[in-house]
Amino acid sequence: MMKIYDYELSVNCYKQRLLLGILGVPYESIPVDFFPGWEHKGEAFAEINPLGHIPVIDDDGYILRDAQAILVYLALRYDPSGLWYPVTDPRVAGEVASWMAFAEGTTNTASAARLHDTLGYPFDIDTVRAGAQKLFRVLDDHVWFHEQQERPWVASAPHPTIADLALFPDVMLSEQGGISLLDYPALRRWTDRVKHIPGFTVMSGIFPAPAGAAPAGAAPGGATVGRPR
Amino acid sequence: MEPDPSTSWYPVARSDDLPLRHVFQGELLGRELAIWRADDGFVNVWENRCLHRGVRLSIGLNEGRELRCQYHGWRYANRTAGCTYIPAHPADAPARVICNVTFPAVERYGLVWTCDSPGGVAPGDGPPVLAALEAAAPLGLRNLPVNAEPSTVLDELAAYAFVPTGLLAQRTAHDRPVAGSATLGTEELGAEVSVTDRGHSWIELTARMGEAASRVVLFVQPVDSARSVVRGVLAGGADGADGADGAGVHSPERDQMAVLRHHHRELSRLRDAIEDRAARRPSPVPMTPRLQQVRLRPAESALEHDRRDGGRRTGLRVSVARRWDTADAIVAFELRQLDGLLPTPRPGAHIDVELPNGLVRQYSLVNGPGETDRYLIGVKREPASRGGSACLHDTVIVGDVLAISEPRNNFPLRRDSFRTILIAGGIGITPLLSMAQALHWSGHTYELHYFAQSAGHVAFTEILDSLGPDVTTHLGLDPSGTGSVLTRLLSDPEDGGHVYVCGPGPMLDATRNTATTAGWPDHAVHFEYFTNATEIDSSSSFEVELARSALTLPVPAGSSIMDVLRANGVAVASSCEQGACGTCLTAVIAGEPDHQDVYLNASERRAGDRMAICVSRSRSPRLVLDI
Repeated sequence: MMKIYDYELSVNCYKQRLLLGILGVPYESIPVDFFPGWEHKGEAFAEINPLGHIPVIDDDGYILRDAQAILVYLALRYDPSGLWYPVTDPRVAGEVASWMAFAEGTTNTASAARLHDTLGYPFDIDTVRAGAQKLFRVLDDHVWFHEQQERPWVASAPHPTIADLALFPDVMLSEQGGISLLDYPALRRWTDRVKHIPGFTVMSGIFPAPAGAAPAGAAPGGATVGRPR
Repeated sequence: MEPDPSTSWYPVARSDDLPLRHVFQGELLGRELAIWRADDGFVNVWENRCLHRGVRLSIGLNEGRELRCQYHGWRYANRTAGCTYIPAHPADAPARVICNVTFPAVERYGLVWTCDSPGGVAPGDGPPVLAALEAAAPLGLRNLPVNAEPSTVLDELAAYAFVPTGLLAQRTAHDRPVAGSATLGTEELGAEVSVTDRGHSWIELTARMGEAASRVVLFVQPVDSARSVVRGVLAGGADGADGADGAGVHSPERDQMAVLRHHHRELSRLRDAIEDRAARRPSPVPMTPRLQQVRLRPAESALEHDRRDGGRRTGLRVSVARRWDTADAIVAFELRQLDGLLPTPRPGAHIDVELPNGLVRQYSLVNGPGETDRYLIGVKREPASRGGSACLHDTVIVGDVLAISEPRNNFPLRRDSFRTILIAGGIGITPLLSMAQALHWSGHTYELHYFAQSAGHVAFTEILDSLGPDVTTHLGLDPSGTGSVLTRLLSDPEDGGHVYVCGPGPMLDATRNTATTAGWPDHAVHFEYFTNATEIDSSSSFEVELARSALTLPVPAGSSIMDVLRANGVAVASSCEQGACGTCLTAVIAGEPDHQDVYLNASERRAGDRMAICVSRSRSPRLVLDI
């Protein structure tokens, strides 16, 4: 069975659990004592990932590290629809890759602010928060203009992709790093849509969507969001 | 921004910021707001905190009719923000006084407007009406947060430079592919832009180039002392109808995107400059929103009335907005408050209605969750009417004003049950309809069984239809047929399941007996009698001691405890005054009550710690009450 070297409060581990849940792939979570044990920085874990980062997956002996890379692998290996990483459409695939790289930026800023505020990591908090605000402005602009064109997701496909999952947790948990989403209403609507993806799972600090009507465009294949009146 | 901010209207969101089941997080003058549209279209603007633990309601769940706090599940009703359910007290109706702070809301020009005037009371003038935006369908521009003082932002927006709409559309259609349209610059076209009008929080600019002209109104939302949101609206929309020359043959959607992108790029450029300058100034002190006490009672007059009338409460005035025949011999009345909001009803609640002939009668509310702009009741003409139902049927017409009480709930609904069985007989459907709607719209599992004489006797079919397959009607059954259906329905007592029943006395008795026989515990069987058919024996005489009032009074044969208390100036709340509704339930400290009501169940009667003082008396010579 698929194993994830996992930490409940890590957004990068959560992304993998989210995709595995949506794809219905069973997996075993191997807890890593990230805090306060620093197990991922220890000698034993260096055998698994010399960079000392989680998540790492072990899929029947195939070991892969890096949050975004694992999403790519899982989508290509376990999504028979081919929609989560739609490589047959070069333009959409390119957009997905570009937003996956953007997710590295939110990890280095929004996630860093969260690690500072919740686990006491010694980052320059003003710098990382300002960096996150800058990225969120770009992402909110992008999502808003996509909504105007009835595109509910980050890439221009009519269905969600791994780019949405790569960005979702950092946006959703940014308040834990002191970054309010008040200035980013389009991001808040988009997170609502992600929560309505069938198979969506939660983590500590991320709540499920209400039962009942899903916002338009949330189900895979749906493509409509409200237009200005 | 000189005028009093508490009476000034500001935009706080776009109308399309409030899609189905979303909760928008906003802020005005340092006060955070939770803004959500209910399924009936009403826009709620509330203080962004739960009254329980202060958690932001913007992370809560918009259930379409109620907003549920994410933390401990408190529910608040559409429109009134009245608390309708507290999961930690599932068997109780929350106090009527728990209401969040609301603000008025108006939608205009594709924006949601409010003002810092708590209580939902709107200053008379409303949001500004601007000639430029009235003429043709305006186009909302991308909202733009700016980290700078609102008054400075307004001044600096006078330098906003843009290109008339018609030219933008033509250029993008003929000269450039859509991807390149965003690089079209103002300088290269050289439009002349001037300020053509201005208000205390907005500025109107007109761009001219040759024959083409466009107007934009930029509204500044004062978020806090150093934060603003610019909300632009373009007159005439994306087709350039506002003075531009004729549009060519091209896609309107593409034009609209090009126009939106042009304004967003130019406004962002200006925003960056404004923020640069603001960053070099000392930051002003953040605003402190005026906090006020959560309002206690919607109608002060109700309190006054209580005192005058020894506890009866018919202090609300409503008018009959609509009446219609909903079934054979059943008339539905829709009641609307003369001004302001009605108190928030909970499923199972009833009101007292003071009739034109002086009688007071109780009617259950049929309202669904979040349906807070009216009360809906169903009145059956009783063949043996003592004047209540006949008076309503024969004399009360649309436009009449009635005095009613606040809703009272002695038949509260648990919303934590895995299985809820609702059983209605005849007009007993009314409280159960309100329960069924609450369970339906919050996604709970339930079944509603409605026993009626014939299809013609089935009331409120439009509501039943909206509930779908969870409703079963049982028509034309005789008592034994009804009995066998009840036996089947209740054959499977379940841990955590609950049964609610309302209808004629004999049917209620049968249901309760069937449930007990099947093994349902008393606490899981909830019932409401409309009338108390037992003959009251008031032949006893005894003494009643009021522990908290330090009074001891004799209760002679022929007088009720309630009569004696009122005669001695002790106000007690009451409603039906015949031992059916439970409003006058009073705690017993010592003595043995002689129960004659139909409100308490068998185990509650045995416990002897509460009694309905309108009809019940004492077996012991002395009764000590907690009054």
